[in-house]
Amino acid sequence: MTDTNTRRITLELADVTVRFGGLLALNDVSFRVHENEIVGLIGPNGAGKTTAFNVVCGFQKPTSGTVSFPSIGRGALKPSQLAKAGVARTLQGVGLFRQLTILENVMAGAQSRPGGHIGASILGMPSGLKVERSLRDEAMFHLERLGITKFAAALPGGVPYGIAKKVSIARALMAKPQLLMLDEPASGLDEKELAEFVGLIGELRQTMSVLLVEHNMDFVMQLVDNLVVLNFGQVIAIGTPSDISTNPDVLAAYLGID
Amino acid sequence: MTWPGSFRRQETTHVRLLTVLGLTVLTLVVTFFLPPVADSQLAGGAAITIVILGLSWLIGWSGQISLGNSGFMAVGAYAAGIWAHHHTASPLIFTFLLATVVGGISGLIVAIPSTRLRGPYLAGMTLAFAAAITPLAQNFTSVTGGEGGLFFNTLTTPAWFLHFFSGANASINANAQWTADLAVVIAGFMFFLMANLFHSRSGRAMRLVRDNDVAAELMGINLSRTRTLAFVVAAAFAGLGGSLFAIINATVRPESFPLTLSITLLTLMVLGGIGTLSGAVIGGIIYSFSANLVSHVNSLTGVNPTSNLGANMQGIIFGVLLILTMLFAPRGIAGLIQRIRSFIYSRS
Ligand SMILES: Nc1ncnc2c1ncn2[C@@H]1O[C@H](COP(=O)(O)OP(=O)(O)OP(=O)(O)O)[C@@H](O)[C@H]1O
Ligand SMILES: [Mg+2]
Repeated sequence: MTDTNTRRITLELADVTVRFGGLLALNDVSFRVHENEIVGLIGPNGAGKTTAFNVVCGFQKPTSGTVSFPSIGRGALKPSQLAKAGVARTLQGVGLFRQLTILENVMAGAQSRPGGHIGASILGMPSGLKVERSLRDEAMFHLERLGITKFAAALPGGVPYGIAKKVSIARALMAKPQLLMLDEPASGLDEKELAEFVGLIGELRQTMSVLLVEHNMDFVMQLVDNLVVLNFGQVIAIGTPSDISTNPDVLAAYLGID
Repeated sequence: MTWPGSFRRQETTHVRLLTVLGLTVLTLVVTFFLPPVADSQLAGGAAITIVILGLSWLIGWSGQISLGNSGFMAVGAYAAGIWAHHHTASPLIFTFLLATVVGGISGLIVAIPSTRLRGPYLAGMTLAFAAAITPLAQNFTSVTGGEGGLFFNTLTTPAWFLHFFSGANASINANAQWTADLAVVIAGFMFFLMANLFHSRSGRAMRLVRDNDVAAELMGINLSRTRTLAFVVAAAFAGLGGSLFAIINATVRPESFPLTLSITLLTLMVLGGIGTLSGAVIGGIIYSFSANLVSHVNSLTGVNPTSNLGANMQGIIFGVLLILTMLFAPRGIAGLIQRIRSFIYSRS
């Protein structure tokens, strides 16, 4: 992609280093995600992908370096500040709330919206109810968009894995994110679901940036604009899928591991 | 768009309000036919129901254990007692409000160091708080009345209510029933508030934190603030329940709220059904009539009620009931009723 220079930057990591004792999990990592761009973060096992996600989300403080969200106008954020700032993340695996229905799980994505103050809701005032009702309608809209309305009343434990993954995405969308972070969204999905997923991300990119960690190479190659390749905590290459697939360092890293 | 039926049911305040009003009025009618002793027991049960509502919110919804609820009750009771002792003309509603607020503050004080603690550590912390209350009350004699406690008579049956009663024991009957009715109305109101909370966004926040705290944080929830809020609400409910308890008995003493009461509250909550509104009411009803149950069992088994065994019969009965519930109805009596209901519906 050549036009990235003119687009606004949604996420920027600058010289981020994370040290766990003697282990350098991330070593001077810098990369950017631009508006409406889809970026894939790839690398062998233990390369530091999840650590990078955790740094962006404020779950892990960098030993040095900075994380910022320039287009949102924010520096580093605490996990509980992300949703409000427009950053949504799905967790590796599914990460749903076990004892809440699918509908409630999706509604939870808008938990940080204004309204629904405890004082009003304890007295059962109509204002709180109105907000709840509109959240419910919105959650149903997302379930419908993903074609899973019929599971609204089910508990997460009672739905197939592919459905649960969709629910976690619907939940992230409730936050109306500007940056959507997906940790291994394709794992456990079948061919048909993968194809649907590519279509969905293609739609979502109209309104947001996407950063995803993924192991499934075929899937990631057809989906992203740019790839960031990590190996032993270091960025060894950044570029388009076609650049990366012929990059000798990347091939060596992957072949060396395999 | 069509909704699964179960969602629509929970959503309207007026349905909730009508249900609570209906049940409250029904209970008020029942108090009219009960003898004075039973009325007094019912009043105590209503106070306990309020405390269990808070406990169920804390444990069932926010997933935090508390063995300190007898302590929160004591705080509310002493707040009410000390206030009413000095301001005999103060309106009752103010005394209740004060007890609720002071109870909530004690919850805040316990919660701040506790929200980082889990499971047994949290249980220990709250237990220590409850254990500290009795010696505190014994020592600050000038404020708390020490061992003898405080006596205060804030309940006066209004003249219009006395008109309904006649005969030899008219005033005794009227007083007992007035006390019961007042307690039932307050419990009904608190039930309504908790029902609203259960179905509110704050209620959902509690369940998110309980189920998956990492994901909850990503939803924008401040974990320690949410856990603290759970404690404050539970302690406020306990403070009100404790003050009601004290006002019913017109006294508060250091041994009014022993540690064993915390265990009893937990037992009643589990028996009724953890995290359910109806479970709190069922727990309160069981408490109301536990004295009758104990004397029944004592006479059936021929145990002398003043013997060591007889004196501890309530603990034994609750213990057995608790084990039976956990084995055969893990979701308590409320869960059992739910199961029977859906069984009947599925057959018809
Ligand atoms: N909290 C931690 N404490 C110590 N070491 C850690 C911690 N988290 C991760 N590591 C180490 O840091 C390195 C990077 O881990 P990370 O989980 O980021 O890799 P990853 O690229 O996500 O791997 P995978 O593909 O297996 O998910 C690994 O060597 C891991 O063992
Ligand atoms: Mg990982």
